[in-house]
Amino acid sequence: MRDFLELLVSATASGCIYGLLALAYLLMTRPTGIINFAVGEWGMVGAFTGFVLLSAWEIPYFLGLPLVGAVMLLVGWGTERLTVRPLVERGAPVLAPILSLLGMLVVFRELVSVGFGPDPRPVPGAFGFGRLELGLLAGSYQSFFIIACALAVFAGTWLFFERTLTGRSFEAVAIDRRAAAIMGINLARVTALAFAAGAVVAGLAGLLVSANVSAHYMMGLPLAIQGFTALVIGGVGRVEGALLGGLILAFTEQFIVRYAPIPAGLAMGVPLVLLILFLLVRPTGLLTAREARA
Amino acid sequence: MTVLISNIRRQAAAAVLGAALSALALGVQAQTTVRIGMITDKVGPAKPYAEPVALGAAFAVKQINAQGGLLGRPIELLTEDDQGRPDVSATAARKLVDQGVAFILSVSLTPATQQAQSVSLETKTPHMTPSNSGDTLTTQIDNPNFWQTGPLGSTQIATLLAYARAKNFKRVALITDNSDLGQLINRFFKAGLEKAGIQVVAEEVVPRGANTAEPQMQKIRAATPEALFMAGVLTPENVLILRAYRQLGLKTPVLGNYNLSVPQYTAVAKGLLDGVVFVDAFDPAKPETARFIEAYRKDAGAEPYNLMGYGYDGVMMVADAIRRAGSTDKEKVRAAMQASTGYVGVMGGTGATYQFREGKRTGFDPNGMVVRVYEGDRQGRVVHVGLK
Repeated sequence: MRDFLELLVSATASGCIYGLLALAYLLMTRPTGIINFAVGEWGMVGAFTGFVLLSAWEIPYFLGLPLVGAVMLLVGWGTERLTVRPLVERGAPVLAPILSLLGMLVVFRELVSVGFGPDPRPVPGAFGFGRLELGLLAGSYQSFFIIACALAVFAGTWLFFERTLTGRSFEAVAIDRRAAAIMGINLARVTALAFAAGAVVAGLAGLLVSANVSAHYMMGLPLAIQGFTALVIGGVGRVEGALLGGLILAFTEQFIVRYAPIPAGLAMGVPLVLLILFLLVRPTGLLTAREARA
Repeated sequence: MTVLISNIRRQAAAAVLGAALSALALGVQAQTTVRIGMITDKVGPAKPYAEPVALGAAFAVKQINAQGGLLGRPIELLTEDDQGRPDVSATAARKLVDQGVAFILSVSLTPATQQAQSVSLETKTPHMTPSNSGDTLTTQIDNPNFWQTGPLGSTQIATLLAYARAKNFKRVALITDNSDLGQLINRFFKAGLEKAGIQVVAEEVVPRGANTAEPQMQKIRAATPEALFMAGVLTPENVLILRAYRQLGLKTPVLGNYNLSVPQYTAVAKGLLDGVVFVDAFDPAKPETARFIEAYRKDAGAEPYNLMGYGYDGVMMVADAIRRAGSTDKEKVRAAMQASTGYVGVMGGTGATYQFREGKRTGFDPNGMVVRVYEGDRQGRVVHVGLK
């Protein structure tokens, strides 16, 4: 029972990381149709920004956290401005910005690799790495902090889309870009905000996970795959789907490793099997967008 | 039109003359320097290891040149980046051969070094890896021009197993990552443990990119081993293992492979290392090593660690072979390298020497590795030497 409850906390924390990455994808994909595979590299940039601010410059964590957000906002906005908007304004096909962002993936990784070298870098946890026991549940301080952060971000995002005019304009663009433009919604502004928000969320995920794994220049690709898999599982239509997809992925991963009587090497293939299954059986994911429901 | 043709002829003549002069200059330069090629990984998965090895090699070249060079000529170190890719590594080797190198050093990934051997075999170019530890590098291809002076994975494992036998462990667990080298080391660990009659009660894998190792460590905790062998070579994943180890309250002794000797762990695994033992080829107390540390620190302004030592020893051994050959003739250098014996380098415990016994092409002393223990977050004292 002890193992099960410890794993509950660990899998929830991992699921929240995957969910945040899926949310980053979703924030950009919904209004623009663009899948930004550089999300993983944005997570890496967030991790290294955390290293610089929190480890190298030793800024207090809760002062550094919003600064990381601010940096990522600029990264996201800059990426959109430099690599997406020029293509969109020229009427390029949707594939063009996707390929351009794939190029940015390499640019980000190499910039970090050249700037920081190949060695992993330490990033502190918000409250250190002690063990916290909450009733029957037990886990690291960082695990509980990740869960709290993720819930706050998802709640905030849900409220943004459901209760604010700007959030509704995102939805309108997602449903019908042309109609939204005709109604006076500034498409360029929505796109810029989508990318900025996606970068902030991805950077946060990178910062949170790097406290456990360290910041290293190769961390982006696994994050991108994990987030994309969570997005496919949960569905690209709804914010809560991203979190659900992340949790299902993490729980399946960790509980199979722990309890399934299969070799450790095979257990590692579980996320990819899930991805293929969902693409074959339910490509829209578990939760569909509201306009798609009859 | 006549003027145009005349101009074109003049430009073509200038181009031919320029090419001829360049070729002449290169030829002259090649004669005035001893060219040694190095294939490294500047952007790929081997970068964390290849970069410090390359720094050590460059430092050795600098030192040799400061002392008058080799055969009266300065060494020119030509570096190619194979990105850790075997196909690129072979191309890089070909390019270096075309540039007239007397020797090639491979400091990238094991599979990349393996592929580069196809070129050194074909062109009979002396070729060495000072840092790869894959056991099959000198046996899968029968290449008399290739040597390996990095400590073999089997030597590292045998040293750690000798320590485990001395501690009388009977039931142990293994944990590794899913990298090629991590899997290879794990296989060797397991075979060695089982041969020694030590039971492996749990065997787990933490995949690259994981963000927790708790499920794997829970299984290990449930198996109640007397010791835990860490066979993985990916630093972030090893940090996850150590973190889960502490989180889950395990007290089992941890025995780490040489990867845990990389000093970066003291930064990224702070508070997680105390009492962890690891196998290493670097004893800072050894006189040659202490001198190297001092010289490197003075030159680079930074403390060197074991990986620099591999590159340093590699270049020094190559230089020694070329000196004994008396020329850069490939066959003479090959014969001189194969005849290397009793060479004392920076790496290896006190008394360890490099040599290629009985026609073999692996040169690291089988008794040359040591087992050290982390004391707090610091790499501490040697607790075991060699295979006894």
